[in-house]
Amino acid sequence: MQTNTEINTASKRFEMPNVKKPKWWIYHILVGGFAVLMLYPVIWLLMSSFKPSDTIFVTAQSLIPDPFILSNFAQGWEGIGGNSFGVFIKNTVVLVIITMIGQVISSAVIAFGFARLSFFGKSFWFALMMVTLMLPYEVVMIPQYIIFSKLGWLDSIKPIAVPAYFGHPFFIFLLVQFIRTIPRELDEAATIDGCGTFKIFYKIILPLIRPALATVSIFSFYWTWDNLLGPVLYLNSPDKYTVSMALNMFLSNETVSNWGAMFAMSIVTLIPVFVIFFLFQRHVVEGISTSGLKG
Amino acid sequence: MKKWLFWMLTVVMIFSLAACSGGSSSSSGESTSDSGGGSKEEVKLRIAWWGSEPRHDYTLKIIEMYEKENPGVKIQAEYASWDDYWKRLAPQASAQQLPDIIQMDLSYFSQYAENGQLADLTPFVGNQIDTTNFTDNYINGGKIGDKLYGFNLGVNVVGFHYDEALLKKIGVDSLAEDWTWDDYKEIAAKAKDAGLFMDTGMKADVFFNYYLRTQGKSLYSKDGTTLGYEDDQMFIDFFTMTSDLVKDGAAPTPDYLAQLKGLEDDPVVKEKAVGIWQWSNQFVGIQQVANRPLKIHNMPGPNTSDGLYLKPSMFWSVAENSKHKEEAAKFIDFFVNNVEANKLNLGDRGIPGSSVIKDELKPVLTPEQVQVFDSVEWAEQNSSEFDGPDPIGAGQVIELLDSLSEQMNYGQMKPEDAAKQFRQQAESILSQNK
Amino acid sequence: MSARALKQNMKGYAFISPFIIGFLAFTFIPIVASLYFSFTQYNLFASPTWIGLENYKKMFTEDPRYWQSLKVTLIYVFAGVPLRLGFALFIAMVLNTASRAVGLYRTLFYLPSLIGGSVAVAIMWRNIFGDEGIINLLLAFFSIPDVRWFGDPTAALWMLIFLSVWQFGSSMLIFLAGLKGIPMTYYEAASVDGANFWQKFTKITLPMLSPVILFNTIMQTIAAFMTFVPAFIISKGTGGPLDGTLLYSLYLFIQGFEFFNMGYASAMAWIMLIIVGILTAIIFATSKFWVHYESEGGK
Repeated sequence: MQTNTEINTASKRFEMPNVKKPKWWIYHILVGGFAVLMLYPVIWLLMSSFKPSDTIFVTAQSLIPDPFILSNFAQGWEGIGGNSFGVFIKNTVVLVIITMIGQVISSAVIAFGFARLSFFGKSFWFALMMVTLMLPYEVVMIPQYIIFSKLGWLDSIKPIAVPAYFGHPFFIFLLVQFIRTIPRELDEAATIDGCGTFKIFYKIILPLIRPALATVSIFSFYWTWDNLLGPVLYLNSPDKYTVSMALNMFLSNETVSNWGAMFAMSIVTLIPVFVIFFLFQRHVVEGISTSGLKG
Repeated sequence: MKKWLFWMLTVVMIFSLAACSGGSSSSSGESTSDSGGGSKEEVKLRIAWWGSEPRHDYTLKIIEMYEKENPGVKIQAEYASWDDYWKRLAPQASAQQLPDIIQMDLSYFSQYAENGQLADLTPFVGNQIDTTNFTDNYINGGKIGDKLYGFNLGVNVVGFHYDEALLKKIGVDSLAEDWTWDDYKEIAAKAKDAGLFMDTGMKADVFFNYYLRTQGKSLYSKDGTTLGYEDDQMFIDFFTMTSDLVKDGAAPTPDYLAQLKGLEDDPVVKEKAVGIWQWSNQFVGIQQVANRPLKIHNMPGPNTSDGLYLKPSMFWSVAENSKHKEEAAKFIDFFVNNVEANKLNLGDRGIPGSSVIKDELKPVLTPEQVQVFDSVEWAEQNSSEFDGPDPIGAGQVIELLDSLSEQMNYGQMKPEDAAKQFRQQAESILSQNK
Repeated sequence: MSARALKQNMKGYAFISPFIIGFLAFTFIPIVASLYFSFTQYNLFASPTWIGLENYKKMFTEDPRYWQSLKVTLIYVFAGVPLRLGFALFIAMVLNTASRAVGLYRTLFYLPSLIGGSVAVAIMWRNIFGDEGIINLLLAFFSIPDVRWFGDPTAALWMLIFLSVWQFGSSMLIFLAGLKGIPMTYYEAASVDGANFWQKFTKITLPMLSPVILFNTIMQTIAAFMTFVPAFIISKGTGGPLDGTLLYSLYLFIQGFEFFNMGYASAMAWIMLIIVGILTAIIFATSKFWVHYESEGGK
């Protein structure tokens, strides 16, 4: 029988089994070095945001801004057409939070249905769900647009936010796979203890798929954050625009694009995503102890 | 448990936030459909355009101006970048949700016009839209057949924009007004010998069309069902010239061009090329980035005036599904005739057509803008009739031509073969318009 | 049907009801509509006109660009997905250690994915792969001659593939979540039995991870087939050079929204659906042999 502390240790620390533990500094040099290499483009983006727009590409090879300026950030923050960038960020945050909550909750509920319950026609609906993933958005876009137009939802976030509460196939599939890794004995034990189906979902399965839920949250967050086509189609008024559209407005195909401001704002809008990721990834990583419940 | 409580509260809060903003937005989105019957007769118009920051700013100011002078009218502005704009417009059209006033570009003009999406402005000309200061030629730029689908916002003309200093450096004193293609080839060779590019190549459809026009032909036939020239030798002559320049190193290769990120990278700006073939409204932009004096010169001949035409840079069109066409027309009239409005505009959308406006603007223009104005004025006297908007299917034809041009410039295809292929495929595309 | 079975069915449907409702409300009609469009000539403005199988015929027999886009996409999928998943799994395992810095590393490796498909990414990428960009500099360092990334269609496609691999963070995250779900006790028991690293990897890690591997493989394959934004912004919407980056979705978009051949684009979409569907079904079918679900009894 395992004690609590043993369980905690067991789940929190998974180390590469049986590999001669390398010296930490070698590890850090290799991994860290690789990370820096991988991040070179991002670093380039960051450094370029401190350069005046017209020197960015001329001095593309050198990472050091000379002169080093902060005006790109000020300029970018002023935004476009009387809307400061703060407006766009606010719009995006609202949209993202609403969408994220919808997607996580609904996908979890639906995934439980597919993964744990058996019912007539299950395979059909599952297959149908997978099929909706495989159809390129561009072709359903027009009929969907007409539907939303008839509903009067144009120029609002409703076409993007409302469907989020009806599940997203990608997340449903992901959660299904995770739920299937949980032994059914746990469900059975709970049923014996008198738990109804919903309680099983809520008290047993949900906590055990915490890493997957955190993963889904992260994806949902930054996919919605970066989503461009949805806002382009359904947000007509510029004061409702999201960050992705606003960034595009710094560009111009007739005159000079304001690269400096665009890069600066790209960096700024990267920060919330970065922070959310950093906060949530802890939950992805903190393990689950399936054995703990057996007791 | 506490965690769930927290989440629940968040959900409730967010929902109420959304409901508030969602509610107000959907009501403002109802602009055109039911505002006509209001008690105060307030008219709501939606207007959409593409552009970048300066254009958004001054256009919004012009709208404000108009609203002040017309208190019963509210205009909702919807603006975006070029790509986003067109992506959004198509679905709007299919759902009959086009904004009342739409900025139109020649490349999409035929598609929208000939499919009934744009209103015929002819009834408004001379009434809501005062056209006394415009030439017929200018206005006809927006005509397809005998219907006027868009009001011309300004004209552009193609030309050669170059750095005189670099020109002298390669040993050429100046460009003659009546220079020819042969002169051009000579100068290009000199540029190459001096280690510079002559230019960055020519956009295939635009300049090939110019070339054809100088020979009395055109790229598309009048009715848009076939190509406008029968002799493939013209194709061969023109593209042999352009691909030879690439081969000889007087013009850059396609992959060099593909890597240019924007104006700052342009060889002219970096003093690696003598000049650039482009439209007149692109002059100010490149001059600003290059930060040194540049000049505009007319296209080479022979028959320059047959080849040149005044291209409408863009139009204001009125949506066929608009419920306020008259009001929309009034706005267009304000936009193109009001002096104060145009002083904000300063020719950003092309050289305005109204003679009155042109006179009023000249004094407030920068020297570079004056250069552009002058070159277009010269072109007005030295050009022939515009062929009209590209026919439906032109998009595919242009893509085809660009692709063939790319292959010729890579040396992967001979102009003779490209000529045949172009004819065959372009005609099959255009024949669908029969 | 017995009362119990009925109750069971109802429970099941209750849980998946959000999906069904959403599907019927927002997705069903558009899907049917797009199928209908594929048999028509439709330019988005006028009513569609029925032309039967014309679109499909034209696609397969008269459109070399179609085959090119198919070829390009297949290369993209079959080269990119394994690379991406391989990297993701490898890094996930490397990062699955107990070190404080690991949280930071995870975030750093994930950063490329977070940037998504914005224009900024395209600019960065084009800059790095330019003639004077850092990639060519690196190659020169190893005495490899410059690659004309923008001039050669194949090289340009590899630019896209590298972009996809660079953004492996999302797959890595999923693998990490999966790795964390493997109880330590299994490894300890195996150690006691004298298993070495490789045996542990193949007999414990891989099987326990297999549901997640299945997921990632399917999802990444589907996503790769539908890739549009990177190709669009890197090639500036042209699919160049010489159609080297003309991914299927990009060509579909061009046909539908630039040439206004929506009927043709819809036909392309349905063919893509069939191809991806078949591929996915194959992967699912083989999964019986290599995927192990803890919840359905062990192997």
